[in-house]
Parts: sequence; structure tokens; C-alpha cells
Amino acid sequence: MSAIKNIRNAAIAYKTLNGLLCVYKPACVSLQQLQNTVITNLCRDLNALPDRPLEKRVEIQGPTNDAMTVKLVTNYADDPLVCGPRYIKEDFRCSWATHLGLFSSGVLLLGINDGTKLTYLINTARLTRAYKVHGQLGKATDTYFWNGKTVEKSSFGHVTREKIDKVIAHMQAAHQKTMFEMSGLHMESQTMFDLASQGLIRPASNKLPVIYGIKCVHFNSPNFTLEIQATNEYDKYLWTLIHDLGVQLKTSAYCTGVQCIRQGKFDLKLALLRKHWQLQYIIQNMDKCRSIMEENSLLLKPKSASLAL
Amino acid sequence: MSLVKLFSTSSSRFVSCFNKSLVSFSQKVDVLSKTAVENSSHSSCLEQTNEDLSTFTTYFPKTFNLASYINNSETLQNLLHLDVNLSKIEKKPQLVEKILKLSCGNIENFILFIKDYVNVDEIGTFITKNPLILYESLEDLNVRINYLQSKKFSSNDIQRIVSKNPYWLMFSTPRIDRRLGYFQKKFNLAGQEVRHLSTRQPRLITYNLHHVMTNTFVIKEEMGFTDSELKKLLLKKPKLWMMNQRALLERFNYIHNVMKIPHLVIRQNPEVLLCRNYIVKQRHMFLQKLGRDQFEPKKENFIPIMALAEGTDTEFCKKYAKCNIDDFNMFLKTI
Repeated sequence: MSAIKNIRNAAIAYKTLNGLLCVYKPACVSLQQLQNTVITNLCRDLNALPDRPLEKRVEIQGPTNDAMTVKLVTNYADDPLVCGPRYIKEDFRCSWATHLGLFSSGVLLLGINDGTKLTYLINTARLTRAYKVHGQLGKATDTYFWNGKTVEKSSFGHVTREKIDKVIAHMQAAHQKTMFEMSGLHMESQTMFDLASQGLIRPASNKLPVIYGIKCVHFNSPNFTLEIQATNEYDKYLWTLIHDLGVQLKTSAYCTGVQCIRQGKFDLKLALLRKHWQLQYIIQNMDKCRSIMEENSLLLKPKSASLAL
Repeated sequence: MSLVKLFSTSSSRFVSCFNKSLVSFSQKVDVLSKTAVENSSHSSCLEQTNEDLSTFTTYFPKTFNLASYINNSETLQNLLHLDVNLSKIEKKPQLVEKILKLSCGNIENFILFIKDYVNVDEIGTFITKNPLILYESLEDLNVRINYLQSKKFSSNDIQRIVSKNPYWLMFSTPRIDRRLGYFQKKFNLAGQEVRHLSTRQPRLITYNLHHVMTNTFVIKEEMGFTDSELKKLLLKKPKLWMMNQRALLERFNYIHNVMKIPHLVIRQNPEVLLCRNYIVKQRHMFLQKLGRDQFEPKKENFIPIMALAEGTDTEFCKKYAKCNIDDFNMFLKTI
């Protein structure tokens, strides 16, 4: 609320709208739609703020062969009713840091105006993202997600929490091995050993998904929830993960929902809900994001491949 | 040799011919310049003059918006003083040309006519929505008003119809008559009910009839309301017939098939279909999580269906969910 008090007019508010914004993306809303809503709301709120006074124009009147008078008259062309609203959608640049699929929900970083440069940095810095992936046992679909056609049904009575944990631990170990292979260094070199001794490392390329940790946080047969920490992943990859899990458990499974709960240091607590996509909340949120980035300068430009640094 | 000769003679003939025509052309130019000098008192535009040139207008280049013309056009300024949103009108280029050719008298007569039917503050938005009405002749407009009077619409009704639907007066009397007839026949309405419908939602009468037909199909066949229920819905919430049919069906689907609300309750509270699906959905899921999703009025802890669509989230949490708004927000971040 303190931020909104400082806004005296729309021009000042517009100038503060440079930076990163953390929103909560609802499922079944595409990123383009979300971007459009945020920017339309910003325009609406900015146009409702007190406007600058209308410009004046100089008019030279009277016959040209006599003494002419110079007058200052109102410039009708400057009226918002004539030249259109002061702020329109084209005044804003907007981009997302990392893509989030149509059916996924959760934390999403948007850059507005100068913040578009920051989203590029975040994308190249390859921040880890944490997901809650919901799945259901006993059914397989052709898209591996709830929207697909059912292709297989199977019994799942034999699946227990322990069995899931076992398979998941195995998956995590396999991914840890690829993590070292993806680092771009020779596996049997001293440099690789030094790097690996520091802990987890981020991959050299941005193509292959790398999973750092999988944990089963909820199991109530047939529904279960996994918590996955990963980089370079995409929604379809997480769906296939659930499918593979089903196969390894000797049954079938499909994904019922993907929710991103953290990206780097930006978590759910920070994310703005759909009803709060308004100017005052957006400005506050940008301030918070800015302070997070100032505290963690290595967030955007990491110096080492090690995740801990 | 002979060929070269032939060419040279022909070319010389051609040159002489060209010279002749050139001479005649220069003579003509001379005549022209002489008449020009005789007509105007000075021979060059660069010379100084003592005449009053303020009556000359400046050159108007082609433009994309009306803003470049408004400081010189009294008509446009008058329209602006009426609060007409010119920036919206200029989005349709074919209208702009017509607006620029309007005379002040046209506008004046129209305003004197329309002020009986439309609130003075709303004339601006009225013209913004339908600027072409300035081109209709006043006699036609009077005939259309008379038609409404002959159909026993009260003066309040006529005021509401004209001000809520700026396009109504654009429709000719036979056309309006056909459309009123269509609604009367299709939904089996009495005369008083037709009047009620057209006053309640005047925009529906001039709406795209194909859209009305598909929405009737959606509500009757796909949702499964009976004919009498259809009529009650139409008279209570005519706006349902102007909505996107896909959105309408999606909302109904959630309320009827997921929440298991019977047709009767939806018929009594059709406003719930006007509310966006995600709002109803997230409130319902929250109540489900709390175990408070009890929509039967005869049992305890009854929650009226409109609670899911009306009011702010704070009110909803306090009155029906009986919890803090933060809990609700927290829940929203888990779906």
C-alpha cells in the first residue's frame, strides 16, 4: 500500500514499471493470454490515474495585412477522447523467462519493459525449478496427460509407497549420472573431480533436461504427487516421467497436473494471484523481485557451474 | 546505301515535324502565361502582397487520425464538447469520411431530437457507438419512435430502449416489426412480454439473429431446459442469448455436471451463468476442500449457489467459507 501512495500521476507510475514480475499462472490459460491480461490491466489502471494537464497551442490570428494577435488556446488534439487513451498495449514490452505449458500452473517470471533483458539473463542462467507433479495410477493416455485418450487400464493394488520410493530413487540416481556427463568435461579428469566434489552442477547445454531430485510427497492410491527439482525441463517431459514411473511400477500412470512451485529464489509466496494483477500489486511485486535480485547477484550471472554458488 | 539514305531522309522529316510541333507548343505556353499574368495582379508567388490571406486554409495532408483536423474543424470540436470519443470512431475509416463532411446544423437538429429520449450526459457515448445515426433523416427517426408508441410502449420504455441501444433507431420499422414478431413466435410470448423483453434488453432485438438461434439451441437442446423454462430464462436474463455459446456451455457443464446443481435452481438463479467459470470453479473447489459444499436448502450449512458468483472473495470467505481470506489465497496457489 505504501508504494501506491507515492504514485502521483500516470507518467511516474509508467517509469517505475521496469523490471521483473512474479505471477501465478493458472492452468488452462496460455502465456500469451496471461501476458495480454497483465498488460491490458496495466493500461486500464494507468489510464485511470490522474492525467497531465492538456497541452496549449499557439495560434496567430487576424488578417495577414494587419497587426496579428498571438493567442494561447487549448489544443484539442491532445484530448484523450481525440488522440486515444494515454497508455495502450503497444507501449509495453513483455516477455517470459521460461516457458510454462498451457496446462501447467504455478510460478512464472515476466519481464516488463526493461525487465525483458532480465528475463533473457534468467533464461540463460538456467535456474532450477521445483515442481509438484500430480499423477494417477491405473490408466495410461496417449498424451500422457488427462486431456488424452485412454489407451490402457491396469490394476494398481500392488503399488505401495515403498515401491514408488524405490523406483524414484533409482530414477534420481540415473539422472545424477547424466548431470555429470552433461557438464561438458571429461569424466575422468581432475577438473571434473574438483567440480563434482562441490556438489550439484548445472548442465552446459540448454537442450537436455536434468533432474536433481525427485521425492514422493503424497501417496493416496491411486493418486500421488511427486516433487521434482530440475532444469531445462518442459511440461511434456514431466508427463513422460510419470508414464515411465507407471511402467516401472508394473502398472500404468498418467499425469493429472503440473505445478511449478519455485524458480530460483522466486517462490509461491511471491507469486501474484490472478485477482491481484493490478497496478499497485504489480509495482509492489516488482520491488520485491528487485530486492531478491540485489541480494543474490549470482542469480542472473552465475560464475561457476556449481549450483551452490 | 539506299537503306541509310532512306533512314536519313525519314529522320530529317521526323525532326522537322517535331520542330513544328514544338513551335506550336511554345506558342500555346506563351498564350497561357499571358492569360495567367492578366488574371492575377502579381507575376510570382514569391513577391510580397498586401492582401488578407487569413481566409486561405492551410494544406491538409492525408492523415490516419482525426486529431490532426480537430483544431481547424468546428464540427469535430462540437462533437468533442458532446464527449464523443473520436479516437474510437476513427478506428473505422469509412465512418471518418462521413463525419468530416457533417455540418453543424445536422448535429444540432439531431441533438434537439434525441435529447427527449437520451440523458444529456449519455449523448456523447450514444454518438460514439453509432455515429451514422447523424445521417438518418429526422422524419425516419420520428416514424420509428411513432411505431414504438403505436405498439403501446410507455414513454419511459421508449427512453430506455433508445438510450440502451443506439442502433435501434437505425432499423427500419418493418425490420423491427419482423424481429419482434420473430421473438414473439419463437418463444411464444404475449404482447406484454414482448414489451418487457425489448425494454429489459433492447440490444437483443437488434442482435445477430443467427447468434440468437444457436444460443436457443444450446440452452434448449444441449443444456436440456424445457420450453416453459426457456421462456422464463429469456424474460429473466435475456443476456444469456447474447453470450458466447461455448463459454455458456462450459459454465453450465461445470455447475450442472460437476457441482450437481439441478436445472430448477439454475433457472431460478440464471446470474450464475453470467459469472466467469474460473471464479465459480475455484470457490467450489475451496468449499469442497473445507467440506462445506452443501447446496441443498433443506439441510444445514446451506450455501446458496449465488454465493459462488457474487461479491468479493473477502465477503465470500467471511460469510460462507468462514475462514480468513489468506487461507483462500493460499489454497488458490495450490491449484
